[in-house]
Amino acid sequence: MQDLLTRFQPLEIRGHARGGQGMVTAFEILAKSICRSGNYFVQSFPFFGVERTGAPVVGFIRISKTPILNRSNIYKPHLVVVFDEGLISQVNVFEGLNPEGSILINTNRSAENFSTNAKNIFTLHATGISLKYGLGSKALPIVNAAMMGAVTKVIGGSLENLIQDIEKYVPSKPKENGFSAKESYHVVKWLESTKEIIPSVRKTTGNGNSTVPLVPSWNKPMTANKTGSWRVFRPVYEEKNAPCTMNCPAGTDVRKFIKQVSERDFESAWQTIQEHNPFPSICGRVCPHFCQQNCNRKGFDGGVNIGAIERFVGDYGIINTPDVKPIQYAEKIAVVGAGPAGLTAALRLRKQGYSVTVYEASDFAGGMMQTCIPLFRLPEEILSQEIHLIQKQGVKIVCRKKVNVEELKDQYNAILVSIGLQKSSKMNITNEEFCTDGLQFLRDVKYKHNLSEYKHKKIAVIGGGNTAIDVARTLLRLGAVPVIYYRRTEKEMPAIREEIEEAKEEGIAMEFLTAPVAVEKEKSSFVVTQTMTNVSGEIEKEKLKSLKMIRMTQGKKDESGRFSSYPLAGTEYSVYPDRIITAIGQKPDAYVFGREIDRNEILNNQGLLSTNPVILCCGDLAGGGTITEAIGSGNKAATRTHKLLRSENNVPVSTNNGKQNDWVKPEKINFNYYSFAKRNENPKQHLYNYLNDFREIAGKLLQPEIVDESNRCLHCGDCFDCGNCYNYCPDAAISFNGKKTLKINYDYCKGCGICVIECPCGYISFKKEEGERDGEVETGLKPVCTVIRN
Amino acid sequence: MTEVQPIQVIKGNTAAAVAAKLCRVKYIPAYPITPQTTIIEEIASMIAKKEMDANMVNMESEHSVFSAALGSSMTGARTFTATSGQGLFYAHEVLHAIAHFRQPIVICNVGRPSIPWNIWADQSDSLSQRDTGWLQFYGESSQEILDSIIQGYKIAEKLSLPVMVVSDAFYQSHTSENVNVPEQELVDSYLPQRKISENTIQVESPKSFGGLVPPEIYDRFNKLHWEAMNIAEEETIQAGKEFSKIFGREYGAVEAVNINQNTKTILVALSTITTTIRGVLAKYPEVGLLKIRLFRPFPVISITEIMKSVSPECRMITIDRNYMGEKEGCVHQEMKRALYGKNFPIYDVYAGVGGKDVPPETIERIINFDFGQNVDPVWIDI
Amino acid sequence: MTNNFYIEQEMMYSGSLGCRGCGWSMMVRYISDIFGEDTVYVVPACCFSIIAGPYPMNALKNNIVHSLFAASAATASGVRAGLDAQGKNKTQVVVLAGDGGTFDIGLQALSGAAVRNENIVYICNNNGAYMNTGIQSSSATPMGAVTTTEPSVHFKKNNPKDLMAIIKAHQVPYSATASLAFLEDYRMKLQMAKKHYGFRFLMVDGICPPGHKIEPEDAIKVARLAVNSNAFPLFEIVEGKNKINHRPENPIPVTEYLRLQGRFKHLFSTNGNRDNRNSEILEDIQRNVDERWIELGGNIFNI
Repeated sequence: MQDLLTRFQPLEIRGHARGGQGMVTAFEILAKSICRSGNYFVQSFPFFGVERTGAPVVGFIRISKTPILNRSNIYKPHLVVVFDEGLISQVNVFEGLNPEGSILINTNRSAENFSTNAKNIFTLHATGISLKYGLGSKALPIVNAAMMGAVTKVIGGSLENLIQDIEKYVPSKPKENGFSAKESYHVVKWLESTKEIIPSVRKTTGNGNSTVPLVPSWNKPMTANKTGSWRVFRPVYEEKNAPCTMNCPAGTDVRKFIKQVSERDFESAWQTIQEHNPFPSICGRVCPHFCQQNCNRKGFDGGVNIGAIERFVGDYGIINTPDVKPIQYAEKIAVVGAGPAGLTAALRLRKQGYSVTVYEASDFAGGMMQTCIPLFRLPEEILSQEIHLIQKQGVKIVCRKKVNVEELKDQYNAILVSIGLQKSSKMNITNEEFCTDGLQFLRDVKYKHNLSEYKHKKIAVIGGGNTAIDVARTLLRLGAVPVIYYRRTEKEMPAIREEIEEAKEEGIAMEFLTAPVAVEKEKSSFVVTQTMTNVSGEIEKEKLKSLKMIRMTQGKKDESGRFSSYPLAGTEYSVYPDRIITAIGQKPDAYVFGREIDRNEILNNQGLLSTNPVILCCGDLAGGGTITEAIGSGNKAATRTHKLLRSENNVPVSTNNGKQNDWVKPEKINFNYYSFAKRNENPKQHLYNYLNDFREIAGKLLQPEIVDESNRCLHCGDCFDCGNCYNYCPDAAISFNGKKTLKINYDYCKGCGICVIECPCGYISFKKEEGERDGEVETGLKPVCTVIRN
Repeated sequence: MTEVQPIQVIKGNTAAAVAAKLCRVKYIPAYPITPQTTIIEEIASMIAKKEMDANMVNMESEHSVFSAALGSSMTGARTFTATSGQGLFYAHEVLHAIAHFRQPIVICNVGRPSIPWNIWADQSDSLSQRDTGWLQFYGESSQEILDSIIQGYKIAEKLSLPVMVVSDAFYQSHTSENVNVPEQELVDSYLPQRKISENTIQVESPKSFGGLVPPEIYDRFNKLHWEAMNIAEEETIQAGKEFSKIFGREYGAVEAVNINQNTKTILVALSTITTTIRGVLAKYPEVGLLKIRLFRPFPVISITEIMKSVSPECRMITIDRNYMGEKEGCVHQEMKRALYGKNFPIYDVYAGVGGKDVPPETIERIINFDFGQNVDPVWIDI
Repeated sequence: MTNNFYIEQEMMYSGSLGCRGCGWSMMVRYISDIFGEDTVYVVPACCFSIIAGPYPMNALKNNIVHSLFAASAATASGVRAGLDAQGKNKTQVVVLAGDGGTFDIGLQALSGAAVRNENIVYICNNNGAYMNTGIQSSSATPMGAVTTTEPSVHFKKNNPKDLMAIIKAHQVPYSATASLAFLEDYRMKLQMAKKHYGFRFLMVDGICPPGHKIEPEDAIKVARLAVNSNAFPLFEIVEGKNKINHRPENPIPVTEYLRLQGRFKHLFSTNGNRDNRNSEILEDIQRNVDERWIELGGNIFNI
């Protein structure tokens, strides 16, 4: 195709753009550059309207070898330049186009998408190019340099001159504008339409048909003007994940139940929790509250006390009598170990319609919750009531029965192993047999064994986890003087932060960056009476002399994100406790498998040891280590068992595991809309004397406080009908018709984005329009045959 | 129909104020300026004495006066004000707005010129506003000022156009003379209450008044105004006829005195000068007077009709009490336009500019002036 | 926590010609909601005269009188008088003007209407420049701002006119400042304005993304900073007494407010300019803000 400059005399160009896209400037610069390129007479002029950023504007260029003797607008252009394809549906950009004429459109779509009466269709993604060079704002990319480059190519002008003129005349960013023009010059695409061209006839004006009123006054609603096509970015209502929910290993929809509590609908809140967690009363007390760890309110005025709310809801629902679901399936399921994971899995499967029996080796169901959580953290009746609720829903629990999978294989189609980690790990130091196992100690206390022998004794507690803290606090209540020794710093302690704080408040001494090296013994005439630790007779005449420790120093961060530590040579020292209790980690009792089993085997198979029958491990055995993780693991195991039994598929189910990190971050929260409100802390029992006092330390919050606390929820990522988007929309483009009915009218939304920024909870996303605005994409008429050239 | 009506001796400015009262004007935004001031003082006094039921407000400028008048009139309230010279110049912007908002406001302008400082009779203020889209009446007597204001509302409200009634400073504004002040009932029968129409502001049918109009549409509003202006002369004549039926005094767009086929000279004049000319005519049977009462739109139809009987040798002498920055004065320009295609010899005389007195002797000097071949206007008495 | 859908009767149509994030449209949504049907608006030349709708459209479900630039308060006085003459005393007459039409060309008419205590409401959208004509300086333009008539190094060197003090001197029954970032306060003031009889004046901190060179989405954020830095204090003047409505707990430095706006960008560039007086200008602005805050009855130490 010949260049337009050679084909048409004079050459007439009409541009359609939006206020703010820089068309008027672009046409001025183009005229200058064309004039310089070939001694042309040029005219460049806008139709000066009420230019608003975004509103349609028109501009003209006339180019001739002879003086131009016409000062009127251009009605029969040879080239129409469309700076924003959205205009095509708003303005008749093709009006009067010369039958041999061309059109240049800024679009990221290909030319075939446009039904036009143009012989030649040129396309260029000028918006993309402009944004790439940082021209204009994201709401209004200034595409004029790109369009100048493309026009220069289409008409056959000089790129060199254009770039010189751009650099000389653009108000800012001359280099970037030059690059943008250059790139556009080279990438503009050409499509020649071979369909028959129907000439577009110019609409005549002034035919006098429409009359105006005597007094200049009018009242056609402004809604005739659809401003939706001004939009470059589109606000979209989109529910996002909340950190609390995402962080809950049990998978509880935390945000939802808090909202229900704030609406005083405690029953629904209890049901919401029950969907994932049958132990809200317990978790409300002893869970480390993963949900609170990333609460967006933390950095503002303190995270929401979700634990207290959960505890309240749990206690509220504990008297419920849930329905017993009918048995639907023939398959029978055994669960070995009545800890939180096993009981959760059992309840899920029972509710699904399976017959489930739980076998528990010890006297009572509850696992670690039963044996190892001290009474001052979890009163007995709470545990028994929540377990009772599970039983009420049809789960059979058989206690004092130690089973292994071999003996169950024949009777059951699926065996879930959730025996936990009941055996303590060893420190592997000399004379370790003089140490007492922390878990065993806690069990002893629970079963009221040997309570008096600790009175006035100095006890070394080794470890930094919850067990260590529980042991120390229990010792305190038995009248002992516990000292915690931990090999890293306080920051690295894996125990629940509040527990550590409470322990410190109770006056428990802690030494950090120190580790045991050896236990030293001495001959003694006293008989050690540690009957429960199976101490052999040979050492009965020997007694603990001292504990040899070594100072540690902080190393690099390890995989868990904690600082590692290593010993400092020559810093050994001794301490002289009366007893040593270790709490440094646990391992499973292999009896259940009938063979020694490497825990990695379990972990590597994601707990699945066999599919026929299904043998699936869950709870601490399969990873985790806290009650909530165990519950989550139980949920997953149940779902997986169901799928395996129903042969749906063998794919492990992924639920919220808190690792996706895909939740609303504090920077998406507009804190201006939340007023400062102090966190409601659980009241604490401050005892003068802890001796033999196992009453619950953390008191409960009362209903008004709980509702108040739930009202502190930021509703991260979930609309709570605050009205901000509606209130702040400058274009009245948002409608509201009662709860959760907000709707954006994209016919009018200009995409200013105020609603996005002013949404308190990050519920509104701002997304780039991709040339598919409402009612703008023209379909139907397409060129019959097309030749694509570049 | 003619009844005996009370004769009072009042000033021209009082006549204007009384006319406003008789027209039952509701709102008078006002700003003092010599020689208009006594009009608003009279109105204020009548309101204070409860003789008049209206709201007169002291504004901060004539720009505001006319803007307030515009706002009031748009609601449908009958609105009046008065001003002079600089005041009218200052309100120039608003005059356009009032005319093109098609508001039937009537004002009385007591003419005075601009710089150098001068407060005396001159028509350059109102005549320089002839293109603002207002009807202009030039009154000769206190009676005519009063009657013209009453007729002004009749015409204005019929055509939806504003009317400016112009009187001469001091020679008329401050001259007490016999005025037949009509009874209120008669005025009421001639001028009923202003109609509230779809063109006024009504809460029930909200509209946007006067926003931006694009080029494709704008001329249509002008054309509507033009159509109204085109019939204004006929409406003036019609309003005058109706007026005479009730009040017995006759008015047209122009008045011809002693114009016939024997007339050798016709003096064309406005306002008080015409009275003096009337007096001089007795001595000059071959001289006639063409009094232009309606100056805007210029009464071309009436003039054409009158000039039909006049012999083509008859001299036309226009008397301009205004200087407009053009060689010829305003009256001369307009007369030439009205006489286009006729071959009457036409001369222009600047007389009475800046309040210079125009006694009968000056009129006689004009009549007797030998224009010879000189086509340039003559500054008389300089 | 806002928990309300404030607009009860939407009197403003969608589709208006405001730029993206325009403060005018947002502001008028509230005015028209609170003042309701029985209201006549008088609009002089300003952005809203365009936003309100060119022929043949009307962005409001109310009467709008487009007045001359200098004459909005006078025209409104006339409309008021005309309505009163017909017994329509309940109808509210509300002027919607920009800062140019209020601080500059319309000041005379404003003063006249105020001192006459005309029963009208005058609301000024103060966005600190002639935005409708493309960002030229007005006497409301803040010190340091760049406009097209005071470009680059010739940025505005004086403090803006203290119009609220001028209004106060007129002893009008009610006047107040308001911000769209504080909607409850703004609505309260509109209610107060509606409640009072006589001349009522409201100055709203005008949001103008193109004029202030900000991203439209940040419009409210910037308006909030204006209040929280005391650059635009929220107060009412009732019976001649200033009443501060919002005392920022910890007023932020005014630079935090200025920094977000392109019109003040040059004050933060370091560019190696040795004659750079930027810090002095910024100090001047801060000092002026502090002085005016104290004058109002605020306390910069926030005791």
